[in-house]
Amino acid sequence: MRAFLTILGTQLRRDRWVLSFWIAGIAVFGLAVAAAIAGQFADEADRAAIVAISVANPAIVFARGLPDGSSLGGVAFFTGFAFTAVLAGLMSTFLVVRHSRADEETGRAELLGATPIARSTTLAATIVLGALANLVLVALLAAAYVAGGLPLEGSLTAALAVGGVGLVFVSVAAVVAQAMPSGRGANGASSALVVGAYLLRGIGDALGTPSDDLMRVTPSAISWLSPIGWGQATRPYTEPTLLPLLLSLAAFVVLSGWAIALRSSRDLGSSLVPERTGRATARLGGRSVVGLAWRLQRATLLGWLAGSVVLGGLAGGLAPVIAEAVADNASLSALIARLTPGGSGDTTEVFIAALLGIGGILAGAAGVQAVLRLRAEEAEGRAELLLATPVSRVAWVGATSLVAAASVIIVTLAMGLATGAALFRSGGAADDVLTYAGAGLAHAPAALVFVAVTALIFAVAPRVTIALGWGLLVIGFVLGQFGELLQVPEWLQAVSPFFHTSAAPVVELDVVAVFVLLGVSAAGVAVALVALRRRDLTT
Amino acid sequence: MSPTPLIETSALTKRFGRATALDGLDLSVSDGEVHGFLGPNGAGKSTTIRVLLGLIRRTSGSAHVFGLDPWTDAQMIHRDLAYVPGDVSLWPGLTGGEAIDLLTSLRGGADPQRRAELIEAFELDPRKKARTYSKGNRQKVALIAAFARPARLYIFDEPSSGLDPVMESVFRQQVLRARAEGATVLLSSHVLSEVEQLCDRVTIIRDGVVVESGSLDELRHLSRTSFRVAGIADVDAVRSITGVHDVHAVGGSVEFEVDSDAIPAVLAAVAQQRATAVTAAPASLESLFLRHYSVTR
Repeated sequence: MRAFLTILGTQLRRDRWVLSFWIAGIAVFGLAVAAAIAGQFADEADRAAIVAISVANPAIVFARGLPDGSSLGGVAFFTGFAFTAVLAGLMSTFLVVRHSRADEETGRAELLGATPIARSTTLAATIVLGALANLVLVALLAAAYVAGGLPLEGSLTAALAVGGVGLVFVSVAAVVAQAMPSGRGANGASSALVVGAYLLRGIGDALGTPSDDLMRVTPSAISWLSPIGWGQATRPYTEPTLLPLLLSLAAFVVLSGWAIALRSSRDLGSSLVPERTGRATARLGGRSVVGLAWRLQRATLLGWLAGSVVLGGLAGGLAPVIAEAVADNASLSALIARLTPGGSGDTTEVFIAALLGIGGILAGAAGVQAVLRLRAEEAEGRAELLLATPVSRVAWVGATSLVAAASVIIVTLAMGLATGAALFRSGGAADDVLTYAGAGLAHAPAALVFVAVTALIFAVAPRVTIALGWGLLVIGFVLGQFGELLQVPEWLQAVSPFFHTSAAPVVELDVVAVFVLLGVSAAGVAVALVALRRRDLTT
Repeated sequence: MSPTPLIETSALTKRFGRATALDGLDLSVSDGEVHGFLGPNGAGKSTTIRVLLGLIRRTSGSAHVFGLDPWTDAQMIHRDLAYVPGDVSLWPGLTGGEAIDLLTSLRGGADPQRRAELIEAFELDPRKKARTYSKGNRQKVALIAAFARPARLYIFDEPSSGLDPVMESVFRQQVLRARAEGATVLLSSHVLSEVEQLCDRVTIIRDGVVVESGSLDELRHLSRTSFRVAGIADVDAVRSITGVHDVHAVGGSVEFEVDSDAIPAVLAAVAQQRATAVTAAPASLESLFLRHYSVTR
């Protein structure tokens, strides 16, 4: 027990800043959403209108959450819950992997494993740490909602629903960490599961049944497959119930037990996905810096590619189904007709444009991740080996930026093509494939700006590259998705490159904006290359 | 020996913020020699090597490799250079063979036959992912990549710290072969036997400055000789000579250390005292290093 507490204390100490940032960040976001709803939509009629529009538009339901009544809390929960739950899930998975598989890979686990503790003690401590982190999150988040002007009981339920999602992903990541051979792989797989949970409840909610008064959607059974769906089922501000969270608790207990059993019975360093032997000599492509950059990005890119193809397939496949459902519902179609007198707001197109926007973020993430690898290469000493050969820094960073840019283009294009192909399958025109490929590609220029900015940070302030690189992308995403709601001034919203992306095919492509974004990206990379020649290699 | 050294630094200084890593370092490595680069942990060996490679920029002073400035002409210098860092980190997803091919290709390509010989000599399985290699195996990968394409200058930063004795001897053979082919080697090491067997000259640094530089014979000359003498009646006659240190009795004999310029006086005194047995030994490398390494700061 003493050893357990010592290890728990050490892990807590190591995480004190990271966890503080995560928890405080999520709570501040919760406060901002609650306060924004209370401030902007103080009038019940306004709220009823916004909820009705959302219920009428499955794209919003898919991307945002489950509409549940027009009370202040109901609207705040609908607007913010799914995204908050994703953040809690990511916080939890990164926490667990950091202390389990990543430590095992670097050898720290070996050092601890030689002390008189049980094989599973470290993992048990990590799971408890994860549970504690989510508990603190629940307390702060509930306080934030109440401070934002929402009723107490509902706020507590809503915060518990967020904590429930976090708790489930603590245990999910604990199992994944046993299965994957590397920290990077475990992080990738478990964050994919978090995003999967978000998409799953998105599909379930979008296919749900709107109530006759357009005030709420009853999700389809698919939403019950997602831990985020369980959280939504607590309906905090209408008919609060904690019963669905019993599912979260059960999943946590079962998966944690399984993870601990797996850890107790396996060798240190072994994994369910084994390491295979590879080639004794490099292929021709593996003998250059571009080849290396491509090789390092390949597996990650496949992951992003799979994500974007799934999202595109969903967009193209679901859009007609949803359009049909809307057409069948008299009150819905009346509302939509009223909202879009010119008829340009075709439900199919609006739904797809919203999802393609998320695809732009995925592409940005794929590109940013490629550039961030430069920092890992430098900090872990591989850059030293590489740059002691006649490879210039410019060639090294240039090759990586090239691969990053290619990743962005591949992901956006694949998403557009998948959308078009799925539409075509469900009876669309062949032209759609090209149209939507272009619509997907329209998101590439903004994503490229993030690649360039990350390269610039790497050249100027290498030690903060990883935190700032991801941080800026998240800020760009929040500004894009929540900027209007939070009443962020337009000039500040305009700072985000995604603000300047045309939501094709609903809106026509703004060619000037495309060239400005491309110019900014090229200039950013160029400045980064120059700045990089002036600094020391920093570990 | 060529008149212009292959590596030359003078008054080389490197500061990291307030900390001074190199404080006016003068290093000179001549063409064709194996040069030992020694010093306690944190003395500035790796910092010097990184400046010479152009990975970090000197704060002041001068540094030249092949007569070129390592910061501005890094690429040019790296064409004729092979480097093995002390703590080799490889790409986890690449196999050892792929890493070797990558590194040698960037330098212009390996000689396939030599690559095969080296893999066999170092007993490396090149098909394994770097993630699964031990420290020693990662080091072998970097060493094979370094030797598989002949270079004019080899820089090794504690290259054998993860190798077993058999592999250490393979490494020594390769260094000797490189020297026979006319290459120059800068070897930072803590393994004294390795230094003794390989190095023509050594430079010892501490706290970022050179404290000793020269051939091993010269360094020995600068250090003390150990005497063990039996049958002396009056020990004080020896003890009173300037340059005699650390006198103590062992069994029936007396042991002491003598500075090299005091040797004639000591020999005279020992003869006068009618010693029955005398042993004199040059300072071991170990005592030489211990003296330089452990001087209180």
